[in-house]
Amino acid sequence: MPATPVWLAAIESLLNRGIDQSLRARAAAGRLNGTSLELRIAGLAPIRIAAFSGRLALASGGGSGARTAGTDPAAVIAGAPLALLDLFARREDSSAPRGSERVRISGDAEVAARYRELLELARPDWEEELSRLIGDLPARRLSLVARAALSWARGFARSAQANVAEYLQEESRALVSKPEVEEFLGQVDALRETADRVEARIARLERRLGGRREIEGSA
Amino acid sequence: MKTSDRSVDFGFEKVPWAQKAERVRAVFSSVAGKYDLMNDLMSFGAHRLWKHFTLSLTGLKAGQHALDVAGGTGDLALGLARQVGKTGHVVLSDINADMLSAGRDRLIDAGFAGNVECVLADAERLPCADDSFDCVTIGFGLRNVTDKAAALSSMYRVLKPGGQLLVLEFSTPVAPGLKPIYDAYSFGVLPRLGEWVAKDAASYRYLAESIRMHPNQETLLGMLDEAGFGQTRYHNLTGGIVAVHRGYKI
Repeated sequence: MPATPVWLAAIESLLNRGIDQSLRARAAAGRLNGTSLELRIAGLAPIRIAAFSGRLALASGGGSGARTAGTDPAAVIAGAPLALLDLFARREDSSAPRGSERVRISGDAEVAARYRELLELARPDWEEELSRLIGDLPARRLSLVARAALSWARGFARSAQANVAEYLQEESRALVSKPEVEEFLGQVDALRETADRVEARIARLERRLGGRREIEGSA
Repeated sequence: MKTSDRSVDFGFEKVPWAQKAERVRAVFSSVAGKYDLMNDLMSFGAHRLWKHFTLSLTGLKAGQHALDVAGGTGDLALGLARQVGKTGHVVLSDINADMLSAGRDRLIDAGFAGNVECVLADAERLPCADDSFDCVTIGFGLRNVTDKAAALSSMYRVLKPGGQLLVLEFSTPVAPGLKPIYDAYSFGVLPRLGEWVAKDAASYRYLAESIRMHPNQETLLGMLDEAGFGQTRYHNLTGGIVAVHRGYKI
């Protein structure tokens, strides 16, 4: 069994601290006792998450040496790092689409869903964790700065996206704008409907002409 | 084979089974006064990071109980006492009276008296009740124990169900190119450092030799499994020079 990386131990400590601080997380961990989940992240060794005695144990290499969790995980979640982050980071009530098409879940889907719920409940409070290292006040300040930086970065990304889109659509005309596309598609639909109507009329005329010929022939 | 007929490693030397504990005791009595200074010099201060990492894994909360086996001058016990707080309880144990005395003084100087006890005890036969600790640590002590399997079983016995054992110990370097440098340092520099600072080259030669004779990461992991621990894992630190092994009583 390969060594478990130190960063995985740090995540395990954070999650277990999160479980200790939440009654719902403790109950969720208790329900998962004796089960395990394997995360297969592209480019990394598999990570086994096992629940026992109301806590989580994270081990790399797919084998946790866990006697109680058995040798096979109850469920396996595989995908690219960003897709998995997206899956675990989104809240249950989020209306944003999930990256589920880039994530494969096999085995017991209910166990996988319960682990996802537990990881969400045990999510660390980063400001609190930072305050353990550098104290309350610096942690609060850093947290505010980080939030402001994140907000600025999101705003910058949004405005940069809008500016690039405007340049490509309005100035270079390399792309068409959404109203133009909608107008074009509307015209195509109208043309298709007109063509359908013409086709139906021609078919009706042909039927009429065919009937008249039969009457004249019989006379 | 009877215990009296068996031999055991004492560094690179083989000694009768019954003699090892006494000889280890003599080594540590000799170095006790300069132990902390030598640790800093030998590891360039890295032993503080290794112990800090070990303490970060305990998962202890205020009011819980912890045992530091072969705790020596009390580095880990001090961290454990901070984690469990005034409502918790920490036992510092060591087989060597000189080391334990230095550890007790240090804990008292740091302000821990009521919730910390010092016990002169053999790790193979811990004088503690079954199922009594939430976490047991042993830092740089297991390799000096004569019967490691007995020590692991003893530590398993005193852990509460769900409790965790943390073994911080020198191990086998796994980082490429590290082993020859580490060997040269251990056998060339370390005994000289011991001679200059602690006036005891032989004891520090023993320390270097005992590290080489200690089971590697995978072997020790198997020993934890055999002692009954579950969820066993290990983390390599500083390229595998040191490893932290963990196991739970499930």
